[in-house]
Amino acid sequence: MGQTILIKQQWTTAQKLKALEAGGKKRNRPAGGWIADLAAQKRAITLCGPCTPKFNPARVGYRKEKEFPVVRAKCDGCSTDDLFCTLYIYEEIYSQVRSTAEERRALAKSREQRIQRGSL
Amino acid sequence: MQYRGNFSGSTPYIVRYKVSATGLAPGVIVCAAPDGSSGEIIVTAATATANQVGSLLDAANSRTGETLTYSTTQGAEEAAYSVIVNPDQILRALMVSGATGTAMTQDTIATASSNGLTWVGGTSVASPDMDQGTVWYTSGANVGRSRKITSTGATVTGTVIVPFAANAVGDTILYAGISPGLQGITLTTSVQNARADIAVATGVNVTTISMECNGANDSYVSVVLTDHVFAQTT
Repeated sequence: MGQTILIKQQWTTAQKLKALEAGGKKRNRPAGGWIADLAAQKRAITLCGPCTPKFNPARVGYRKEKEFPVVRAKCDGCSTDDLFCTLYIYEEIYSQVRSTAEERRALAKSREQRIQRGSL
Repeated sequence: MQYRGNFSGSTPYIVRYKVSATGLAPGVIVCAAPDGSSGEIIVTAATATANQVGSLLDAANSRTGETLTYSTTQGAEEAAYSVIVNPDQILRALMVSGATGTAMTQDTIATASSNGLTWVGGTSVASPDMDQGTVWYTSGANVGRSRKITSTGATVTGTVIVPFAANAVGDTILYAGISPGLQGITLTTSVQNARADIAVATGVNVTTISMECNGANDSYVSVVLTDHVFAQTT
């Protein structure tokens, strides 16, 4: 029966600091864990086509951006700069950072009704 | 402020930048940090903004309550947050009154005008000067109609060139020192909303594209950034 020998990696200080650089998940970190951390911090999450199916936005209170089906960004899953990423925004702040046609349509309809009643 | 889209109709381009200041909140305009700063972006000021980078998408940490700022602790994670960087982006802001962003101040017609070319209210439109701004009725025969203000000669009297229908005492109006095509809007202290009670063409470097003239609590202005680092060098 074969045996697996685990050798502890001796990271240097320079390697540790480099791993803290912005722009993607940490060294030796599973992409899922990195994205879960982003979600816990209410950060916008951008995922490329292959990484998108691995993320369940509803489970962590995120809303998929549908008015812009694609955005250009660096994928949070695989750190690839991609022209066709999907954007997820934390649901609670969505209306604070985004104005959608759907929302403006509802406001226009409300305005029309208020005008008919004689007061805005 | 809310990101609405781009002039060109292109897709949003999102980049994470290192923050260099406190006061960052979702939706604010961020600008390039000056020389010697710890990071790359700072939050815009309420009355002036130069070297805009875009609008911020991220929020504070929901678990720790940590704010969007950087840490000087050795080994701490670097604070880099998502910004929509398109230079032609359109932002939408709620129009409010005052630095803290209360509802717009509604005025009431005190003297009727039969020709519809003037209105006489109860509050001053001369200081701050609303000339070249926008006025609209929120009740009465002109409810929902808006006009560009062309003169504010007397303290509480404003003039338009394109006449309204005759108004009546008690009709209510809203006005704003904001008009499409004009550059400059003063923001609230939170830099999230647009102040309608400041004279036209003063404030941050944005130009008004359009206005949604509704009630005191739900009127909006859409603007484009006019001092963007990826569009021009100033």
